Amino acid sequence: MGPVLEVRNLTKRFGGLTAVAGLDFELREGEILGLIGPNGAGKTTIFNIVAGVFGADAGEIRFAGEPILGLPPHEIARRGIMRTFQHNRPFGGMPVLENVLVGAHTRFRFNPFSRKSSLEETERRRRAEELVAFVGLGELRDADVGTLSFGQGRLLEIARALAGEPRAILFDEPAAGLTPAELDRLAAIVRGIASRGIAVLLIEHDMRFLLPLASRVVVLNFGARIAEGTPQEVRLQRAVMDAYLGDAAAQ
Amino acid sequence: MRLAAWIGVFAALAALPFFLGSYHNDVYRKMLLWITLALGYNFLFGICGQVAFSHFAFYGIGAYSVVILLFQVNLPLPIAIVLGIVICVLLALAVAIPATRLEGFYLALVTLALAQLFIVVLNEGGAVTGGTGGIANYRLPPILGWRIAGPAYTVVIVALLAATLAVLWRLDRSWFGRACRAVRDNPEAAAAMGVDVARTKVIVFTLTSALAGVAGMVYAFVDNTVNPPIFGLDNAFLILFMVIVGGAGRHAGAAIGAILLFLLPFWLAPLVGHHHQLVFGALVLAAILVQPKGLVGLWDRFSR
Repeated sequence: MGPVLEVRNLTKRFGGLTAVAGLDFELREGEILGLIGPNGAGKTTIFNIVAGVFGADAGEIRFAGEPILGLPPHEIARRGIMRTFQHNRPFGGMPVLENVLVGAHTRFRFNPFSRKSSLEETERRRRAEELVAFVGLGELRDADVGTLSFGQGRLLEIARALAGEPRAILFDEPAAGLTPAELDRLAAIVRGIASRGIAVLLIEHDMRFLLPLASRVVVLNFGARIAEGTPQEVRLQRAVMDAYLGDAAAQ
Repeated sequence: MRLAAWIGVFAALAALPFFLGSYHNDVYRKMLLWITLALGYNFLFGICGQVAFSHFAFYGIGAYSVVILLFQVNLPLPIAIVLGIVICVLLALAVAIPATRLEGFYLALVTLALAQLFIVVLNEGGAVTGGTGGIANYRLPPILGWRIAGPAYTVVIVALLAATLAVLWRLDRSWFGRACRAVRDNPEAAAAMGVDVARTKVIVFTLTSALAGVAGMVYAFVDNTVNPPIFGLDNAFLILFMVIVGGAGRHAGAAIGAILLFLLPFWLAPLVGHHHQLVFGALVLAAILVQPKGLVGLWDRFSR
């Protein structure tokens, strides 16, 4: 099966600094690809280019065979790539379920004045309720988002992204700020998402969280790929240890 | 059942003018128009988060357009109405498209400039706008041979209010209204969910401006005169105050704010004369500082 997302020769410069240098990687259906690297390795820049927030200086990104580099974020979402934010960004004026329904925005087909619009709304609401339950916020579906804990806010981000019925989902450091119990729950949810056939790209800092979870890992340093493989393979490479993993992960 | 209740409410609103004298009928009509304007402005400001000061100018643009097209250009009423709406839509697009491409305050500034420019154009418009004196002494042309006047015209205003509310209610309860709230709460996240932020803003600005224009067309035959002072900036700010005091983002809030701030001067006049603006200022300040959800927010808190 061909890749869902292909990144070829991606290059991004900020003034004199090359943040991403001729990067290649691909993401396949149902896999969990981890993009790791030390601070400043270009992880967030790559994430933002794929999500349409930044442009690039060179290279190509194809999604489902179509070039998507340079499209604005809403077009990227419309094509089936949804994302979460590292710092939770809920819609503060709406309860949990409504937040998730915003994620389904691109799935609505009928104009608000048509007769079918109400049926569609009911159907989407039902699916959104399922997703809220899937991430474990079922009890809180009518709660004000301001009352959620940080970890619950992260789960809301995930449910909201899933509501768009994406083919690929991008997680921006999802483990950041979570408690150990929340990390376990998050790992189970990410596995559940991949098992639905959705391609998962994880940008992550936390090795203990990522290595057991990822099917494949791309290691970055100074915006370039220095290693790629299964977590087992990557863990043993000298360059990776030098660049990033250090003593803790090599143990 | 809920629909039946709404029909009942609007039937009562439509029946009321037949029991009012001409003075109270006039007050009632203007209150209904203010509610209509506040509902539209609430969608723009309270639901979509756009700060604009042109809402009342579009009310004036609608009023002047229909009067000029009817009595200076001598077009038939249906064509004058349609052309008036086209004028409002084109002007709104001309303002919104460049303004939403810029960040932050630009829409506020551009619309403030539009509101000012509108008054200048009215004053300097010579025979077309009637200059400082405006245009007066016209009558609504007969519709299918029937000259609508008195309480019957108040029913037209009730219908306008009902139609405006129906449109905004339907939009608000759909994916579109949710997208508007998402744009207001967090534009970057909204875009990541597939919402075209600029397009949503332009649509809402254009729609609510056109609704204000239609309300202005109806207003043109309330006093049967249009002149520059009516459409001054005081009223642009008054709409904003109504929505904030009543509760931004809620239809009920906009309606309550409009009723309260419209009627308040009538009660305050014997007490403080023309200084009611001071009371308004204090109310707005109190709402922003103490009760950001406005009067409906207060109602929610005590009814729970």
